[in-house]
Amino acid sequence: MPGFSGERFVRLLLLSLCLPGGSPADLPMTTQDASQTQGNLLTQMPTGLNESSPEPMMTTRVVNRQTRESVSDHSPVGHSVSTPGPDLTTQDFKQAVEEKASNFTDLVYEVLLSGVSGTPVEKNITLDSPAKVELSCSLANKYPHLKIVQVAWKKGNETIKHINKTENSWSIQLTVTDENELGSYSCTLKGEEEFKAVFHLQVPKIEGKEKPIISYEGDTVVMICKSSNYTPITWTWYLTNGSEQIAINDSLLSDKYVIDRVPANTTHLKILKLTKKDDGAYWCEAVFKLGKSKGKLKLKVLTFLVPLKPFLAILAEVIILVAIVFLYEVYSKKKEKHAEYEKEFEQVEQLKSEESNGVESSSTRHRKV
Amino acid sequence: MSHQVPSDLGYVPPDGGWGWAVVFGASISVGFAYTFPKAFTIYFKELQAVYSISYSQIAWITSIMCATTYGGGPISSILVNRYGSRPVVMFGGLLCGIGMVSAAFCTSILQLYICVGFITGFGLALNLQPSVIIIGKYFLKRRPIANGLAMAGSPVMLCTLAPLNQFLFDNFGWRGSFLILGAILLNCCVAGALFRPIGAAKRSVKNQTTEKGKEAPKEEVTRMSMEMSNPTYAPAETRTEEEEEKDCCEKINQYLDFSLFKHRGFLIYLIGNVLMFLGFFAPIVFLAPYAKHIGIDEYSAAFLLSILAIVDMIARPTTGIIANSKWVRPKIQYFFSFSIAFNGTCHLLCPLASGYTGLVVYSIFFGLAFGMVCAMLFETLMDLVGAARFTSAVGLVTIAECCTILLGPPIGGTLIDTFGDYKYMFIKCGAVMVLAGTFLFIMNYYNYRMLAKEEKERKAKEEDPKIVRTENEGRSNWKKETLQDGPELEPLRDEREGLKTEVNGTNEV
Repeated sequence: MPGFSGERFVRLLLLSLCLPGGSPADLPMTTQDASQTQGNLLTQMPTGLNESSPEPMMTTRVVNRQTRESVSDHSPVGHSVSTPGPDLTTQDFKQAVEEKASNFTDLVYEVLLSGVSGTPVEKNITLDSPAKVELSCSLANKYPHLKIVQVAWKKGNETIKHINKTENSWSIQLTVTDENELGSYSCTLKGEEEFKAVFHLQVPKIEGKEKPIISYEGDTVVMICKSSNYTPITWTWYLTNGSEQIAINDSLLSDKYVIDRVPANTTHLKILKLTKKDDGAYWCEAVFKLGKSKGKLKLKVLTFLVPLKPFLAILAEVIILVAIVFLYEVYSKKKEKHAEYEKEFEQVEQLKSEESNGVESSSTRHRKV
Repeated sequence: MSHQVPSDLGYVPPDGGWGWAVVFGASISVGFAYTFPKAFTIYFKELQAVYSISYSQIAWITSIMCATTYGGGPISSILVNRYGSRPVVMFGGLLCGIGMVSAAFCTSILQLYICVGFITGFGLALNLQPSVIIIGKYFLKRRPIANGLAMAGSPVMLCTLAPLNQFLFDNFGWRGSFLILGAILLNCCVAGALFRPIGAAKRSVKNQTTEKGKEAPKEEVTRMSMEMSNPTYAPAETRTEEEEEKDCCEKINQYLDFSLFKHRGFLIYLIGNVLMFLGFFAPIVFLAPYAKHIGIDEYSAAFLLSILAIVDMIARPTTGIIANSKWVRPKIQYFFSFSIAFNGTCHLLCPLASGYTGLVVYSIFFGLAFGMVCAMLFETLMDLVGAARFTSAVGLVTIAECCTILLGPPIGGTLIDTFGDYKYMFIKCGAVMVLAGTFLFIMNYYNYRMLAKEEKERKAKEEDPKIVRTENEGRSNWKKETLQDGPELEPLRDEREGLKTEVNGTNEV
């Protein structure tokens, strides 16, 4: 069957969240979806240290309609990064690209605000690697008459000063390099009415499993964590001991735990020789450049007595039913035989009386066949 | 065939009474046999993870299971011919249970192949064939209804097994589920217990002993008179020689009637069905993936299959009732060919269905057609070869169908992969089935004509005063082939042969 993986390719995503408002085609935006990062990712998440990345480890390969080659310098990864000089036009934004040392992608997210004031529009943005992000709030063309007196961009409670304004939109530019820059950014347009939009910048979420994984004592269990769209740098597994989370060191306890990290966006934790103590919650943590993300999995270890009870119950039911069927058959056969005996008896009597009268009545018996 | 199908069983089936209990048992057995492989696929993901194997390796389990279920047909037939339905089904249920319980303790995929694939598959084979066979022994006039009801067990079981499997898996993991499934499969033994052996043997045992007592002296008298009338003793000798020869072939045929391959109706059925199964199962396998392919979400795609199952459930008994009506029953073969062709047309029109509503409509019609074909699958075979020889016929047919059943979905899959489009698979399935339907229609028309001709000849012979026949004789001569009776009818057969030698010494059947 053909694997339909259209999601893997980058596409133009329209983020107009306005309802009665302008047509979606007004302001096309691009967003990066499913950038496939490959290669040996040696650096840990950027913590602001001036770690120079020696080699072009990260190649962001993105298939896209409009690709732009960026010529970038070999600058150390850290806070100060030279941007590849993007031309940011409000109309169309392209993305990155094939790059050498600068691991930046340019992203623009825009929200079109509609006339519904009161409830803020929320937008979740997932980032797994450092990027330059432009967030903009704009009014639908339908409402030019609404005079916006004041526009405020905030991160949490902190106001952001530098706002780019165009005809109908207000935007800010952010350079996200580490987890400090993630969070919730809100724009508030105050005029006659107040419009608010909130952008949540976060690392990709790892989904655990809602239902517990069931296994048995002495058995082996494999727990899987996947990160479908974003490939993490590495994975770590934790088990819960009381209220703490302890990292699982598979090289130390190699006859108990085996961790498989290939391919990079999936990880397997194999636990051998299960005991009751292994019961509990496990966490798989994906490490991205911009932070970590955890998924929860639950393991339940049962003894074989647990399924044995229903098994024995059903077995008993089967035996009882078979016995009932056979007993009923024996009973009904007895009844039939009894009835036949009576009939035979009657017939013999009849024959006797008829023979004594000289009448052949063997025809009745033949008819029985 | 006329509506008054002469029963070559040698007795009149009850057409009711305990027969309905037998139908109930048969529906359970048939249900397990057909739906267990399908419902088993829920465990694939988990097993894949635990044993670190690919999907195609794990899919071998169900392939082996299906292959053994269909391929074990002849062995099933032989055993039923020898021991009757009841012990075989009970043994089959036991085997299934053992297979699944041992699968719960497996430590490698190879062991799973053996336990789940072979052992359970073979147990299901020992369930499927005898269940269908015994319906033919209990019903004659209402046989299509009985068949329809028994086959209706399949969708009912599917609707219950699938969620049950999910529930078991969520609560007990895969090992515990296998253990409990083993116990559930033991319920086939209960179904088997319901299959009371039938035959006039039971009732006529008493009569027979007394009658034989009466006829033995008669027999001797006639024989002596024949000897006297014939100067040479040759007839008796040739008779014994012929009997010896026949014993050898008869012995083989007693277990598995290979002489069926000379039977015109059987061959027609075999070729038509083998062709049909090439395109029968593939659309079901690919319906959900096709729905997802055209953009429908997973739950709605699964819902399509539920619609199919529900329509199927209703269609099967309904088809049985329709097939039993006096207009359809005499020409039931045409009805069968029509439903196959209808099924094929559904598939051919499927690519035209666009969007979810189109697929829902397709599912409804497909469910209807699928149910119609399945309900009459074994009824038509019984109708062609007669209930007595059905035992061997079903075994031979299932092993022949085995190949195409297994080939159908992979061929469909290859078509999809090569062209990247599902419509070629639907076209192929539809074309194959329409072809099979047309073939069956034409050949059955020919067969009906030949049967009518033979009937005329038989009636002409009957007028012949030279040969005196009893009622039984007429029926047994009609087919002009050896009749195979199950062991429950052996006493009856001896009785009949006794009558034959008594009345008609030289005429060998």
